Amino acid sequence: MGKWTRRAFIGTGGLIGVGLVVGIGANMLLTKNAKKYSGKGMGDGDSMNAWIRISSDNKITIAVPRAEMGQGVYTSIPMLVAEELEVDMKEIKIMQPQPEPAYANTLMVTGQSKDIYSSLTMMEKIAHFLPIVATGGSTSIADGFDQLRAAGASARVMLTREAANRWGISEADCYAENAQIINRKTKEKFTYGELAEAAGKIELAEIPKLKDKKDWKILGKNVQRLDIPSKVNGTAEFGLDVRVEGMLFAAIRHATYHDGVVSSVKNQAEIEKMPGVKKVLILPKGIGAVVVADNTWRAKNAMLALDLEETGDNTLSSEKINAHAEDVIANQLIATPLDKGNATAFLDKAENIIEGKYDVPYLAHACMEPINCTVLVKEGKAEIWAGHQGTSIMLDGVNASTGIDKENITVNMKYLGGGFGRRAEIDMILHAGFVATEMEGTPVQLVYTREEAMRHEMYRPMVKSHFRAAVNSKGEIEAWENKMALQSVGYSSLMRIKPAFAEPPAKDGSSVEGAANLPYTMANAKVAFGQMDLPIQVGNWRSVGSSQNAFFTESFMDELAHSVEQDPYEFRKSKIQHEPRFLKVLEKAAEISNWKIPLAEGRFRGIAIHESFRSIVCQVVEITKVDEKKFSVDKYYNVIDCGQVVNPDTVEAQMQSGIMYGLSAALYGEITFKDGEVEQYNFPQYEVVRMNVAPTVQVHIMDNDEFPGGVGEPATPPAAPALANAIFAATGERIRSLPLVKHGYSFV
Amino acid sequence: MELKINGKIQNVGVEEGMPLLWVLRDELNMTGTKYGCGVASCGSCTVMLDGVATRTCTLPAVAAEGKEITTIEGISAGGEMSEIQQAWVEHQVPQCGYCQSGMIVAAEALLNEIPNPTDEEINTKITNICRCGTYNRIRAAIHTAAKMRTEKSELLG
Repeated sequence: MGKWTRRAFIGTGGLIGVGLVVGIGANMLLTKNAKKYSGKGMGDGDSMNAWIRISSDNKITIAVPRAEMGQGVYTSIPMLVAEELEVDMKEIKIMQPQPEPAYANTLMVTGQSKDIYSSLTMMEKIAHFLPIVATGGSTSIADGFDQLRAAGASARVMLTREAANRWGISEADCYAENAQIINRKTKEKFTYGELAEAAGKIELAEIPKLKDKKDWKILGKNVQRLDIPSKVNGTAEFGLDVRVEGMLFAAIRHATYHDGVVSSVKNQAEIEKMPGVKKVLILPKGIGAVVVADNTWRAKNAMLALDLEETGDNTLSSEKINAHAEDVIANQLIATPLDKGNATAFLDKAENIIEGKYDVPYLAHACMEPINCTVLVKEGKAEIWAGHQGTSIMLDGVNASTGIDKENITVNMKYLGGGFGRRAEIDMILHAGFVATEMEGTPVQLVYTREEAMRHEMYRPMVKSHFRAAVNSKGEIEAWENKMALQSVGYSSLMRIKPAFAEPPAKDGSSVEGAANLPYTMANAKVAFGQMDLPIQVGNWRSVGSSQNAFFTESFMDELAHSVEQDPYEFRKSKIQHEPRFLKVLEKAAEISNWKIPLAEGRFRGIAIHESFRSIVCQVVEITKVDEKKFSVDKYYNVIDCGQVVNPDTVEAQMQSGIMYGLSAALYGEITFKDGEVEQYNFPQYEVVRMNVAPTVQVHIMDNDEFPGGVGEPATPPAAPALANAIFAATGERIRSLPLVKHGYSFV
Repeated sequence: MELKINGKIQNVGVEEGMPLLWVLRDELNMTGTKYGCGVASCGSCTVMLDGVATRTCTLPAVAAEGKEITTIEGISAGGEMSEIQQAWVEHQVPQCGYCQSGMIVAAEALLNEIPNPTDEEINTKITNICRCGTYNRIRAAIHTAAKMRTEKSELLG
């Protein structure tokens, strides 16, 4: 998910007033008075601070206010706390706190990592006042890296001080180990549980010094994930697995057309007589209809039988969208985020220019777990159960759809069967809240069938990118021009999730992330874009703008290299000499892939490097030609510089994952429109990488002391351009449009 | 109808067309078996019928009458993890985990049929979808589990 850095924050700053938020932030790490700011926080009972609870029988619970969607955050956040708290990971239980300011994802909102040692910036104060407790933008580790270690360290010092007081010795004569404070001289011990209640009342004057990296015992080591045992025996509870006494199941049928409105159900009486059906409802604003029944399958059958009275544009087509995009590039550019020198004038008079017109289609997230949400409205209170990327978004959605005050809403976070940005949306919560209000007293689980989920999504936008460039005889890029047409993801998604934060499309940095911030030396460079005006909803799709921009820019870089007959690796290398981190990643990728040693006959390779979400990833992919236009994608070499690493095994897993996600899109992914409807509606029409096609992935993680970057998204962007560049090496055909199957390629 | 699930007889009264998946999930609250696509394409709903990996989202429950139904909940019956589950933990296979019930059941069926499968056989037999892309680790875990099962059977003679 993209950064939610929005000027709107500053615009509303004056209304908030500094006084209201003085005292939050750093103080939450120093005293349990944090609870004053965090209301329900970890729930009833004493805690050391907003993140740590230690019971008298020495049970240690860590609050993890992030969504576990496979990235391992239910393990990596406790690791940060445990390292400084001096407890073994085996002793830790985790809980998901209610959404409150203490747990806001500041990095996602401000784009800046938290400085826990200084007072809050205005942006941070606003982020606390309007907290977005959410998971996205590959931010969890970077947002929590200092804060959560400091939470652990603060609690440890409070416990130490209490023990020292009881023994009547100095704190220096005590140390913490395995959830105990030990007296250095007498070897007497107190368990944390014996000290916690009194220690929790101690106030610290400053944040304790954090450990040096060389002293880490947990961080930087491969730690087994806490959620995995429940994910191999079927007991892990996803949103769709929620079962509450007396619950009913509902199936949604969206208006057929994307601007459509449902006014009535023509065969309502007939539907109501179908087996198990309890209620038929029209959603607010005619977005769709819902059938409530006593079983998901019965609800689905009745939903499919609905005969809707509806309006909408039945002429929207991919051809029309394509023509509109061409027009936007030619006539309706609205922003020029990069304008260095005078690229256009240079190119207009240059003799040898290289042109490339690229495009990518709309993409569905296709999370493995179909979209769902369970809500109960009863006696002025509401409760929600879902796997979702934001507990504060769950809270906002239930509040908006039921009218129930936030204090009377309980949020229950479940495991997410894939998130990828789709589960940061609010639609499923609003719809479930509406249905639960109509069915007051009965919990209702609203389910989108796979078909509904795929045909009515918040898609990765269709994007066009038209390049012109000039390269001189020495291989230097003299001018680079990139004009793009797309729908702003930031604008579209924020207008749904948090309209107060939405800025106009021209200011959406996510549109050009990975396009306007290239590391390469270029004398003149211009990147401009225009906004497409369509009724299609677009949203954050794993790696957002970089998902298309890496394909465009890294493929076009390859074109430029070949235009001057240079090796694609050497061509890139000569242009990042001033970027040491890029250079090291690129060189390491060449080294581990033996780039300089030619491959056997029939085998080919491609390379791409891209920075996204504060991490740099370089990939080299090797492919084998099996037959005319038939290839095996054998292996990806993946090098990442994500700064300091919390759990290396998880980083490796995320690299594998990001590649498979990007590769699925590169090979097969395409959402198209015909007669106003999406043509793909399930996996047979929207194919993804399966075992037989999946390449092996070899991961190298750079070892350095830089601040942590993201890992959930950065492996996705280079996967497609590396492959397209390998296809060019094999066939001489430059792929400027995805997916590859559209060009007649097949993969085994 | 009468279904034998993980060795236990369950009586359910539902219409004949209801797929086994929804009988398990909504009638019996056995939610380990997942709904993914509803068209037998993704494999999230895989159970074993008399030891054979079967997708249940399109299979009427009546068709499973008289057969031994083994779901993910039945794989570690008795509380001990199977070799496949142990290998899944050892290789830290699951990410989001949603597809893994189906993957594990499919892998159990595979090793019952082919005790020591090649990569090629794994590719042919495991056709389930994992959107997190855990395929590398699934492949490695199947090989590890195959080895564990072979060693165990040698030990038992």
